[in-house]
Amino acid sequence: MAVSLIVGTKKGAAILTSDKDRQTWSGDFALKGWPVTASARDDEGRYYAAVANDVFGPAIFVSDDLKAWKQLESAPRFNPGDKGNEQHIRIAGSADFMGRYKDGPRLVDQVWTLHAAHGAIYAGTSEAGLFATRDRGQSWEPVSGFNDHPNRANWEPGFGGLCAHTILSDKNNPNRMWVGVSSSGFFRTDDGGKTWNEKSKGVNTDTGICVHHVTHDPANPDVLFRQDHRGVYRSDDAGDTWLVTEHGLPGGELSDGHRCSFGFAIAMDRQSSSVFIAPLEGDNFRLPHNGQLAIYKSNDKGMNWQPRKTGLPSHCYSGVLRGAMAADQLNPGGIYFGTSSGTIYASTDVGESWREVANELPRIMSVEAYAT
Amino acid sequence: MIRVQVPPILRAVTGGERVLEAEGATVREVFENIALRYPALGLHLFDERSGIRRNIICIHRDLVVRADDMADRSVAQGEELILANAFAGG
Repeated sequence: MAVSLIVGTKKGAAILTSDKDRQTWSGDFALKGWPVTASARDDEGRYYAAVANDVFGPAIFVSDDLKAWKQLESAPRFNPGDKGNEQHIRIAGSADFMGRYKDGPRLVDQVWTLHAAHGAIYAGTSEAGLFATRDRGQSWEPVSGFNDHPNRANWEPGFGGLCAHTILSDKNNPNRMWVGVSSSGFFRTDDGGKTWNEKSKGVNTDTGICVHHVTHDPANPDVLFRQDHRGVYRSDDAGDTWLVTEHGLPGGELSDGHRCSFGFAIAMDRQSSSVFIAPLEGDNFRLPHNGQLAIYKSNDKGMNWQPRKTGLPSHCYSGVLRGAMAADQLNPGGIYFGTSSGTIYASTDVGESWREVANELPRIMSVEAYAT
Repeated sequence: MIRVQVPPILRAVTGGERVLEAEGATVREVFENIALRYPALGLHLFDERSGIRRNIICIHRDLVVRADDMADRSVAQGEELILANAFAGG
């Protein structure tokens, strides 16, 4: 089966499509000029791509063939009366050269993730918010239970802003979902989005609840794998409790001296239950350890990790952003990731070896893989 | 009628049109009228509180007009506004 990748870059989307053996790739470039921050595909095969820039804000484009893209006339937006997070406004307003925008509105400035589940497309945004469309993008509704969370006034942004960047769902239970917010927590709802409880027991939160990314198999949803600012964790109980799972991972020194495995991207191949992460050398450097680009793989639910670097460069000084790794869920599993210096690597042997399938792209912000 | 030059990344929502024409006595009124005709373009011009997005600038009579000043900036029939994208660096 062929695979298409939507590679969101700082200046548009690279659309890479393979042959049925996933060996030969052809490319196109769409949405030129827009930072492309996320993508998803709904059950009927429509593709959604989120764009945003500092001037013209966010928008959602759709395509039914990955060639022609049309911008929707609706987008995730907060209610006009919603009060914004002052720290987020300060961070997001870095381009506010007039410095006169201090009345504190809550605005969607970027869609960080799109997630298809149970007939809807969900959008996670910054300022942190959760929205859903159930009519293929004609309208977007805020998930009020999340956006008006009773503890929202105490949410703290990370240095990238207050962003809801991870959405997970339970294939068999539409009332249960998870949302990760930097740096305010990993939230779970069990009542269809009405209430959300923060789930970080066992996670080192000495510098805030800085969840970076989480993955799982929606068909076995209670086993979660989590890359945090302060380490890598697994939960076997849907997030109620977490265990440190770093054996075999390279440790890095954080800015406060703590050592753990730092990184952003994490992905899972559901056929083999293998999990993949891209460790970086702590939060001071955010580079591959010793310049060796490596993906670490675990075949035993995170208990042990092994580096997989065949085909990856040994003089690499760029990172992998949180949304820039994906699995195609074919058999054998294909894993794909993009670097902040614009190279796409692919593995069609469940992460054992890698090869470059595109380079010279702008900074890669998101990668999603779609079996076609 | 006021002519509004649209930057390339927004022409996907104008049917490829580079220049739009709209009525309005101020920059904001012109943008409001454009947004009525092109709702997808309106998403890019106005935020959740119907404010003009804070980093938008346009060129009018060879001068930069910033978002905060657009409600008060008068425009005359036959004039042109250049809606500017803000790229910097490489």
